Amino acid sequence: MDIRDDSLQKIARRHWYNFVDPVTKLLLALFLTMLSFDFTPLYFEISLVLFSLTLLLLSRLSKATVNAVSFCLFLIVTMVVIQGLFYSHNVHPLFSVMTITFYREGFLYAATMSARILIIIFAIGFFMGTTTVSENAKYLESIGMPYKLVYLLMSVCYILPQIQQNLSKIQFVERARGINPQKTVMQKVRSILPILIPLIIKTFDQSINRSITLQLRGFDRPERTLATPKYPYFKAKFSHYLLSIVILLLIGCKLWQIISRFL
Amino acid sequence: MKENGIDTKASRFNMWKLHLSVATVTLIPAAVGINYVAKAFAEGLKLPLWLGSLGTYLASMLAGPTAGAISGFINNIIYGLTLSPVSTVYSITSIAIGIVVGVLFNRGWFSNVKRVFVSAILIALTSAIISTPLNVIFWGGQTGIPWGDALFATMIGNHINIWIASFTDEFVLDIMDKVVVAYLAFFIYRQLPQRMINYFKDNQ
Amino acid sequence: MANNQQISINDLSFTYRHDSNAVLHHISATAPLNSIIGIIGNHHAGKTTLCRILAGIIPNMMAGDLSGDVQLGPLSPTQNWPALNQQTGFVLQDPASQLSGLADTVADEIAFDLLNHGVANTEIQHRVTEVARQLQLTGQLQRSPNSLSGGQLQRLAIATAIVTKPAILILDDPTSEMDPQGRTEFFNWLTIIEKTTILIVSNEIDDLCEIADRLWLLVDGELVNQGTPLEVINQLKPDWQIGTPQVYQLARSMNWSLGTDLFPVNVNQLRGCLHDRHST
Repeated sequence: MDIRDDSLQKIARRHWYNFVDPVTKLLLALFLTMLSFDFTPLYFEISLVLFSLTLLLLSRLSKATVNAVSFCLFLIVTMVVIQGLFYSHNVHPLFSVMTITFYREGFLYAATMSARILIIIFAIGFFMGTTTVSENAKYLESIGMPYKLVYLLMSVCYILPQIQQNLSKIQFVERARGINPQKTVMQKVRSILPILIPLIIKTFDQSINRSITLQLRGFDRPERTLATPKYPYFKAKFSHYLLSIVILLLIGCKLWQIISRFL
Repeated sequence: MKENGIDTKASRFNMWKLHLSVATVTLIPAAVGINYVAKAFAEGLKLPLWLGSLGTYLASMLAGPTAGAISGFINNIIYGLTLSPVSTVYSITSIAIGIVVGVLFNRGWFSNVKRVFVSAILIALTSAIISTPLNVIFWGGQTGIPWGDALFATMIGNHINIWIASFTDEFVLDIMDKVVVAYLAFFIYRQLPQRMINYFKDNQ
Repeated sequence: MANNQQISINDLSFTYRHDSNAVLHHISATAPLNSIIGIIGNHHAGKTTLCRILAGIIPNMMAGDLSGDVQLGPLSPTQNWPALNQQTGFVLQDPASQLSGLADTVADEIAFDLLNHGVANTEIQHRVTEVARQLQLTGQLQRSPNSLSGGQLQRLAIATAIVTKPAILILDDPTSEMDPQGRTEFFNWLTIIEKTTILIVSNEIDDLCEIADRLWLLVDGELVNQGTPLEVINQLKPDWQIGTPQVYQLARSMNWSLGTDLFPVNVNQLRGCLHDRHST
């Protein structure tokens, strides 16, 4: 029995998205973002939104993505309103409510930017929903990233949920103790110090201990056994090269668009 | 005097060291965590501030500008991946904040109450200068904070240049945030035990 | 003279840089390799600092004013730390900070050291299973380290320290969160580890007297006594405020001495003592 592999995952069927490696997924997100910057017709933007949404729906729609969309929704609405009313190139009225006129140009401008934001959210959501922290860590190490960096990136992913837990505990205790409602901003800021300082000292102490432990446990030694990727991926290297080249071309293209405006 | 000169030279060299020590590698996740906690507190108390760079400040002060810059960068990357994807692009701003705090701290601009204020203004300026183009590219100039955006809307409603309007929107918010965070970091750093400060200094 | 077959500490003093008072004052001690050495002492006696020096955390990671000489067999934590570290297992006082923070499962956590040492995968499987069995963690191998109880976490910390088969094992209060039964099992298990020098800080004086070959007694940063548990416990002074084993307390109150005014400190000695009394 292989004790170090999650046996549940072995039984579970491999999905199509498990054949795509994490780096390709990230490059894909970057590629879609660059496309939306290079080609701005609204129909094209909408089809990109639909494409990335399809990717997401065919894999896993995580709660985080839904949260991200709802988080941005308010901003998108205000953006449409502000640009529809005040965009500097506004000429053609789109519609009027009472005496307020919305303009076509501003509306289109805001719609393009909103589409871009949705594309980024969906493409990143696809990456996040279909990979796990340990899969990413193993893959990055296997393609030659120094273990120190892999550790750094991944430990952040692990520390956030822990901190979240600590925080809700503290907030619970604080609520039970009953803090007086504070009036001014300064009073509010001062009221968090008695909680914040011990928490910060504890957090830094844990990092000191962890750094000692890691050194004692032979972290980052040259003879470390390289991790093997969790899944065999389909044409990983080829996809990296292809996507990187296309992304570079798109960036070059965008830069040329900007420069040629000044020529 | 001569010895002093050599010392400062050596410490300046250390300040820019790109090699990551294990202590720095474990400090950075802690800094990101503190950013997250501070942000959660600001939201919980409904403060008109972000406070989300407190950990970055402390990392810069404890382990130098490189550590601060990396904390800021990773903070936004992870935050972007897990919570709000667009904030990934503001990692550039966070890198700059980390560097500026580290340099100012090393040159003694966090040593007393008056100097901290000057530092805070420099940090806010840096942050606003770098964030403004990003705001324009991604959000048409908005910051996402309602009353800052109301200011922005009024300004472009009066045909003020979008860059000026966006910079004003960002800078007004930044100056409050960065002043409060700078004083918080200044105060908290003085409460840290000396053994902790020494550990991170020795293990850079 | 440095002796390759023993641990020797010679006139060791240490002051942390953030502190003006020395934590350790002129400590000199010896013990043979492959023995179990119990380090006891009152609060703030410098036990943890001594462990840090033995493991090379001081001066390699924490700075301060260190003088004197430490030799663990052929190696010294100040001169050949990388080589020493490769052969040393350390268990910190707080087991949670011993974890790598990057393992999804207990099995991955135990394997971390082996991966760092470049051990092959099949061997890793074998050793992780073996160590988990020894420390009764087999049922938890697939669980997340964050879901363990305090005692299980301490056993996991110990597992990560011994999985590389270190020649020197330094344990800083490794049983503080274990229940009494787990603690007894743990101490018994220590005696069956072979070819390993074990230095253990603990307040469990009863258990220590059962298993330790030697005790080092620290009071306020000074080594006030060293020797077998029998010698050290019988020579305690009241103002050191060190607890005594129950066996010793019982024997004293019943006046069951081993002759020459020495009272037994562990069950075996007590048994011998009673046996002698019955036969005479």
